[in-house]
Amino acid sequence: MSQIEIRDVSIEYKKPKSEETFVAIQGINLAIEKGSFVTIVGASGCGKSTLLLALAGLIRRARGSIRVEGRDVTGPGPDRAMVFQDASLLPWRSVHGNVRFGLELQRWSRDDLNERAARFVRMVGLGGFADYHPHQLSGGMRQRVNIARALAVDPQVLLMDEPFGALDAQTREVMGDELLRIWERDKKTAIFVTHSIDEAIFLGDRVVVMGRNPGHIRDVVEIDLPRPRAAAMLDSAAFIAYRRKLREYIAGDMQSLQMIKDVA
Amino acid sequence: MTVTDQIAPRRTFAIGPVLDRYYGAGVSTVSVLLFLLLWEFAAEWNWINIRFTSQPSQVFRAAVVLFQTPVFYHHAWVSFSEFVLGFALALVVSIPVGLVLGTSRRVRLFVEPPLMALYTAPRLALLPILIVWLGIGMASKVAVVFLGAVFPIIVNTIAGVRDADQRLLQAARAFGANQIDIFLKVLIPGSLPAILMGVRLGIGRGLLSVIVGEMFVSEAGIGYQLMTYGQGMHMNNLLVYAFVVSFFGYGLTMSVRVLEDRVRSWRSVA
Ligand SMILES: Nc1ncnc2c1ncn2[C@@H]1O[C@H](COP(=O)(O)OP(=O)(O)OP(=O)(O)O)[C@@H](O)[C@H]1O
Ligand SMILES: [Mg+2]
Repeated sequence: MSQIEIRDVSIEYKKPKSEETFVAIQGINLAIEKGSFVTIVGASGCGKSTLLLALAGLIRRARGSIRVEGRDVTGPGPDRAMVFQDASLLPWRSVHGNVRFGLELQRWSRDDLNERAARFVRMVGLGGFADYHPHQLSGGMRQRVNIARALAVDPQVLLMDEPFGALDAQTREVMGDELLRIWERDKKTAIFVTHSIDEAIFLGDRVVVMGRNPGHIRDVVEIDLPRPRAAAMLDSAAFIAYRRKLREYIAGDMQSLQMIKDVA
Repeated sequence: MTVTDQIAPRRTFAIGPVLDRYYGAGVSTVSVLLFLLLWEFAAEWNWINIRFTSQPSQVFRAAVVLFQTPVFYHHAWVSFSEFVLGFALALVVSIPVGLVLGTSRRVRLFVEPPLMALYTAPRLALLPILIVWLGIGMASKVAVVFLGAVFPIIVNTIAGVRDADQRLLQAARAFGANQIDIFLKVLIPGSLPAILMGVRLGIGRGLLSVIVGEMFVSEAGIGYQLMTYGQGMHMNNLLVYAFVVSFFGYGLTMSVRVLEDRVRSWRSVA
């Protein structure tokens, strides 16, 4: 049995100003092994965030089941931690305070709190910035805090929704590198949503390609590149082949999007 | 470590901001002094009728005398305690009420109409009723201060809570926050600037209420003294009391402002 089992999951949202529902994702099946790094790509609006929120236990499913370590997901739990895209740090708390936040909420003992928060602040390379507030940090530093906050609570599964979405290409690469370094240490299961195909290939053991209308899984591509991964691989023949394949998938989806527009 | 030491952003000992601050205070002082001088000499040279306007030097002399009489402290104390009691009561009621109304749509729909009616109604108009109910002693003034201060704080607290960043709430929930955690760790700190703004408005309203309340009907207090001196045309003493009230209100308002700027500082992304 896999660590995470997603079976036939559908999620519906209420349409604004009407009683109708909108099917965001439908019939999602996915099994994720403990310690693997799964990346999710797909056109905007295909339900990537929705799927992640469902895994986090933050939204209700219309159908299907999600099990983590055999237990049904009915709400948030200490076995999962989420890294949001941005602006999810408390602006009135320092870097240290923000990392403590998750620990406080999960009722870690008072003695551990400060020491553990400090350790994870150092781990993401912000040891000298512990007293800074979010508005005094760069976007990349803020995301490190986000990651530290999620890692500090020692989850089994790390859920990341476009954590580097707001960063420039270079910073993104550096952050990706660092994320892998941290991940290699204790290999927590990671589920990582991104818009960048390169990022998806570079980070993932598997890339889940989602399509839209309604959101579904088109394919899961095994990435057979050795670890630890290095930037040089981005130019390898194997990497280029993966990139081409994934591009085609997503381009196909974009075309269908175009057709919808034309009809409308 | 050295990195933090060099660019620590929390404390700036740079000269610029300090100068700026003193510059602002300096300009204000000069403007006040100029006004007092103008007043003094306008009265001296009979451009204005000293009988109605008095003169800074005379007011000052009156103050020196008044501040040595127990009568002054008696009246100041009465007003002060009415204000503090009413205001404390307002704080205790308004913040929890605002927090609840800000979070629960259902309760808000139910309570908001009468609340807004009371917020916009001139509460001093209720004074005669309060006096019928509570008498002309301190209680009626405490009540009117309470009514003056409670609504701006409620309304601003509601606004602060409703403006809460949904993403922060979601992040908190993702880490397993319960409703109490969300109140204590997200909603209250997040709406503190708005709450303090309400407190600041409430101070102004509360002070106005206590003075007008005492003028209207009472046996003691600064408002009562203002009325007495006014009827007796004792401009000097009247102005001393008026200044005392202004200084008190100004000082209190400014302290809350400073606090507000402090808690708001995390917002300035400058
Ligand atoms: N709270 C909501 N209420 C109603 N509809 C929603 C809500 N959240 C998302 N949706 C709809 O669900 C669909 C999927 O949204 P989702 O945010 O999961 O997409 P996504 O793949 O993460 O897109 P992006 O890559 O742009 O972040 C969209 O069509 C969106 O309009
Ligand atoms: Mg998304």
